[in-house]
Amino acid sequence: MAELNLDGVTKVFGEGSGNEVLAVEDVNIDIDDGEFLVLVGPSGCGKSTTLRMVAGLESISSGEIRLDGRRINEQPPAARDIAMVFQSYALYPHMTVRQNMSFGLEESTDLDDDTIESTVTDAAAKLDITELLDRKPGELSGGQQQRVALGRAIVRDPAVFLMDEPLSNLDAKLRAGMRTELQRLQEDLDVTTVYVTHDQTEAMTMGDRIAVLNDGQLMQVGSPLDLYHRPANQFVAGFIGDPSMNFFSVTHEDGRLVGEGFAYPLSSETERDVGDVEDCVLGVRPEDVTLVGSETDAHDFQVDVDVVEPMGNENNVYLSFPDADPDVSGDGPGTFVATVGGMRQVERESTVVARIPEDAIHVFDAESGAALHNRVLDESVETQPTVN
Amino acid sequence: MRNPIALLRRRWSDSDDVRTDGGTVDSGQSFWNRDSVRSAPFWLPPFLLVGLFVYGAILWNIVLSLTDFQGLGSPDYSNLDFENYLAALADPIDGLLSVLPFVNGGAVEARSPSWAQLSVEPIWNSAWNTVVLMVGFTVVCLALGLALAILVDHKIRYENTFRTIYLLPMSLSFVVTAKFWLYMYNVETGLINVVITSLGFGAVEIVQNPDLKLPAVAFALVWQFSGYAMIVYLAGLRAIPTSHFEAARIDGASTLRMYRRVVLPQLRTATVSALVVLTVFALKAFDFLFSMYSGYQPGPSADILATRMVREAYANQNWAYGSTIAVVLFVMALFIVTPYIYSQYQRGEL
Repeated sequence: MAELNLDGVTKVFGEGSGNEVLAVEDVNIDIDDGEFLVLVGPSGCGKSTTLRMVAGLESISSGEIRLDGRRINEQPPAARDIAMVFQSYALYPHMTVRQNMSFGLEESTDLDDDTIESTVTDAAAKLDITELLDRKPGELSGGQQQRVALGRAIVRDPAVFLMDEPLSNLDAKLRAGMRTELQRLQEDLDVTTVYVTHDQTEAMTMGDRIAVLNDGQLMQVGSPLDLYHRPANQFVAGFIGDPSMNFFSVTHEDGRLVGEGFAYPLSSETERDVGDVEDCVLGVRPEDVTLVGSETDAHDFQVDVDVVEPMGNENNVYLSFPDADPDVSGDGPGTFVATVGGMRQVERESTVVARIPEDAIHVFDAESGAALHNRVLDESVETQPTVN
Repeated sequence: MRNPIALLRRRWSDSDDVRTDGGTVDSGQSFWNRDSVRSAPFWLPPFLLVGLFVYGAILWNIVLSLTDFQGLGSPDYSNLDFENYLAALADPIDGLLSVLPFVNGGAVEARSPSWAQLSVEPIWNSAWNTVVLMVGFTVVCLALGLALAILVDHKIRYENTFRTIYLLPMSLSFVVTAKFWLYMYNVETGLINVVITSLGFGAVEIVQNPDLKLPAVAFALVWQFSGYAMIVYLAGLRAIPTSHFEAARIDGASTLRMYRRVVLPQLRTATVSALVVLTVFALKAFDFLFSMYSGYQPGPSADILATRMVREAYANQNWAYGSTIAVVLFVMALFIVTPYIYSQYQRGEL
């Protein structure tokens, strides 16, 4: 158990070769003792590289990684008191599950055989894989191999768990189950955990805090709800949430946001936040768009229904402003998604009135992507965007 | 080409009816329609050729080894016995003791089979040399190949160049290798002796030195085939996911322990395949010795079963005795290859 600090961590591949690639740039994250931190981002964003730097599998170009206040930059992986779960599990195929799990203890500790044996048996019981101990990885299913890979990390009793997309090789049903189980396990063991994933659902449901990376840069660190309701920029707003936030390119003029086929009047508070930025992006989450009976408010718009995707519990309704370019369908400008209740009947190609409440809108600077205005929340929801 | 059987059959059939399908649809007897029969033009000729010249020759050789065929004339198949085998493996205990270097066993009684005017030597000496060459060569070759493969696997610069350099000797024929090493080993001008004398030691006779003959042969063969072992091991190493190496490092294993406990066990298949191929090459080292010693008289300290066999047959015209040695060699090869084929078969790879 320990505190893990990433301080200005940077990774440049091919240093000095004239062919340098900046994979991770100046990442600062402080992870508390026992915290579950999820590193999330699209492929190639540098999240795995960051994790591998913490593991010691990748050298650190500049910056410092500290574990409990002691610098570990130069230490080999074995000396760092970490355990890692790989995406491919990396179980040794020629060893039984028992041998796989005891290998790390045999190599890194002076424990006697009996102690190792009992530690392995305990961990196996915790993960419910006792009956698999004498089998080889090749005879196990994907889910079972996943448990063994976890078990191999648990027996080490490390200061930090590092997990590199450990659930991505499982099918959807199993993944959802393992997600819950992993969380429970982490709470039980109370070990600081860094978890890498590209799946925002995993990030939202599992993390105590989420760190969003894009193009090697840290976008935002915060609690899941923080990121959801108070994104620091357009990237985070679009990445977190499914279906993702609707964005409209708009121009800010005369207290209104004018987009393709609509004009959205702003209140004075919002107006103050937006300031004198002209090119903006208006964002609203699909569930905040409501379909109402008739236009009664300045934030109600006559829209056409393009497509309805029934999900059972809810419908995803694809809408477009009638004045928008009719040739552009789908994700063209002026097209957006609303999530409505599953019992509500919405006809394709009908016309409805969509309300985009001002409480729920986000406004971003079109050029920098930075959030100018985030949605209004009840006092009770504590959210402070923390950007390091 | 149309199916010749179908063509023939049409010749044979009496009717001159015009066939509506143009003759593409076969009607008639089921025997001629079987896949195995219809494909016979393709598999039968090679099947017969291999059957006759490979398996037939082996069988004929076995029969010959049971005769007293010697000198001019033709073999007499009326009187078959195992006399030659008894002569070849005369006094197993004494024979074995005589070749083992650590016991000075008594000299072997040479036996005189009924067909020989003089006694014939048993094959213990050349059999022992064959085994020494086989084991020494394969073990050193595998060890060296593994070491090279591990080095080349470290993402070194010019990896392809190194790989080619190491593998190149494999593409040479035994004759070229033998002549080449004859020069290398030359007592006056050979590179090896040039190095030794420049270090202040006296020149050493290698090629004709009874103590160094076999090691020199083995060394040249290792030079030629370690590249092959390297390629096989390299393929095996490449098949191990990088994450295994990384997991072992995180588990705290040192490099040596990582290779011993995680990597080597996963190279078992590679080792077995390389081992079989190398052993069979060692058994066939005849061409090499023949070129190095300009004939099949390498002298007793480098005499292997293959040279002995040819010598008995073509120098001494002891045809039946030569066949006997050939059968012994064949059985040795079977002992090496069979377990491999069987394990492949059990794993469903055959």
